[in-house]
Amino acid sequence: MSQSSMNKADFISSIVLTVFGIGVVVESLRLPRLENLNVNSYTVPGIVPGFLGLFLALAGLAILIRSIKRGGWRIRPSIEGSLRWLGTSMVMRTAVTIVITMVYAILLFPNVPFWIATPIFIFAFVVATESMKYGGLPDRKKLLTALVLAIISGILINYVFQDLFFVRLPGG
Amino acid sequence: MDGLISFANSVGAILTSWSALDVVWATLLGIIVGMLPGLTATLGVALLTTLTFKMEADQAILILICMYVGAIYGGSRSAILLNIPGTPANAATALDGFPLARAGKAGSAMAVATTGSVFGGMIGMVALAVIAPVLAEFALSFGAFEFFWLAVFGVLISGQLTSLDDPIKGWIAGFLGLFVATIGQEGIYAVPRFSYGSTDLAGGIGLLPAMVGAFGLAEILTVMRQEAFEAVRSKADSVWAGIREAYKYKFTAIRSGLIGTLMGLIPGVGEDMGSWASYAAARQSSKNKDEFGKGSVEGLLAAESGNNAAVPGALIPVLTLAVPGSAPAAVLLAAMVIHGIRPGPLIMIESPGFVYSVVAMVFLATIAMGVLGLLLTRPLVLVLKVTRERLMPIIFVLCTVGAFAIASRTFDVWVMLFFGIFGFILRELKYPMAPLILGIVLGDILDKSLRRGLVLSDGDLVQFFNRPISMVLWISALLFILLTMPSVRRLLNRIFKRSTKGEAK
Repeated sequence: MSQSSMNKADFISSIVLTVFGIGVVVESLRLPRLENLNVNSYTVPGIVPGFLGLFLALAGLAILIRSIKRGGWRIRPSIEGSLRWLGTSMVMRTAVTIVITMVYAILLFPNVPFWIATPIFIFAFVVATESMKYGGLPDRKKLLTALVLAIISGILINYVFQDLFFVRLPGG
Repeated sequence: MDGLISFANSVGAILTSWSALDVVWATLLGIIVGMLPGLTATLGVALLTTLTFKMEADQAILILICMYVGAIYGGSRSAILLNIPGTPANAATALDGFPLARAGKAGSAMAVATTGSVFGGMIGMVALAVIAPVLAEFALSFGAFEFFWLAVFGVLISGQLTSLDDPIKGWIAGFLGLFVATIGQEGIYAVPRFSYGSTDLAGGIGLLPAMVGAFGLAEILTVMRQEAFEAVRSKADSVWAGIREAYKYKFTAIRSGLIGTLMGLIPGVGEDMGSWASYAAARQSSKNKDEFGKGSVEGLLAAESGNNAAVPGALIPVLTLAVPGSAPAAVLLAAMVIHGIRPGPLIMIESPGFVYSVVAMVFLATIAMGVLGLLLTRPLVLVLKVTRERLMPIIFVLCTVGAFAIASRTFDVWVMLFFGIFGFILRELKYPMAPLILGIVLGDILDKSLRRGLVLSDGDLVQFFNRPISMVLWISALLFILLTMPSVRRLLNRIFKRSTKGEAK
């Protein structure tokens, strides 16, 4: 990331951090103070998170001021520029990886039997990322080896966790 | 003497049982994990923790230490052959290792790295055996005030040293970790904090799922984001020439081993800094400074001695203070707690033999690393031919199952996903991960120590500052913060320049 992009990223992230820090302070103040239990006021549950929130808000503010001084606030979003950025191979690879991994972990892993879900995920991941690498669907040999890899990995991981280490995997 | 006997007994016990086989496979697996870009020592130790938590404590810890030692060393292979550090601890290795490989000396570069790692590991091991019992005894005098400052000191120093260009980001990462540790029921009155009625959140955020996310999924995303690396086509030359070459710089290796151990000792700093600091010191004192970065054997040796010495170094605070010296050491600490071992100041009273067992484990892992590293130089190169497109999905499956396996909770999978995405964004914004993890580990200590300290002193803050050990810790932390401020550094520069001019006159 270039210094100018980092300044812009710092500008946005520091606002998020400052708001988050203030939120933590507010929520810490709302935590029970246990007056009914007559507890020592120095041991109330909100004291430590309150201080941490305060530090995060101040640190966020420090980065915000620094990024403003460095011109990070000059953000001119354009549809064209955003589309160009989204179309780069780097962003595409990251996006595809996030989507496929999330589908596996959130939908397949808890709901579908492991020995079915895992080979499907591995095969889909390999095919999708290799398609981007080679600029089209991989050849038949690569597809076949990806399928073999997916099936063997699924069976092997299932065996190691379920049968050797007695972990009951979800998904039936 | 008792320590030496305990050490010898532990070595004998491991070598005359099936555990010897564990040393071999776990170290080899560690080397392979370290070699593969995208698989770090932290992730390797975290995933193996989930696989070994039903084993006996000694066997599980032995396997994890072998994985840790092997992975930190294994990262040197990809650094030398691909110019991609297998783990962040091997970044300095690539500076001289890769130019050596390009010059047709890949075999001797790998041998130099192996020799340096063995040297460093052994120096760190001796330091572990000598310092741990002394530090544990010293730590017995720690109370709430000292532990509070230790937690603050750890987070600040770790934040600063892992983010030298922008220390404030390191501190923020550390304080975010401390905040994460406050989620869930607090330890004094069992009041749920920031859980909003969720029983899962009330149970707190597990360290292992968070680490698997921050070092597993975040790493997968980082690797997939980058351009693909080319499979290596390097022919290895003689390995033995490298060992002879490394021997010429034995004093560099010893100095690097000591620096690496010291870096390991400092909470949350670990192998990365062990390697960089050793490399910088070697360059500073070398007769051939110009060769550094262009294929210097001395530089390569220093980097590898430094990072492997930091491994036992990082175990010293784990055992004696229950404070991790590095990110993989934080997982080891969690694994020890899972197995019913109670690291901390009482360890030399409650289980004195355990410290020497750990020394023996480090010793055997280091020997195995050296032997396997030298014997399997050529076959291990084949590991680097695996493409990321085929490796990463398998790693992600292991991350998912690993996060789930610890407590059989789907919630832990969500935690892993959250820390994976959150960790990836933080990395892109140049926030380091190690202080975040250290913060999660130290959060509970900080929370309880501050509140207990306030009760003991009846709200009198002076008592936090005027006890001798507390003073050392808070003054060190303050100095560290002040020295990072550009205005303070400018002022110091001006003062020093003025005084040198005055002396010259």
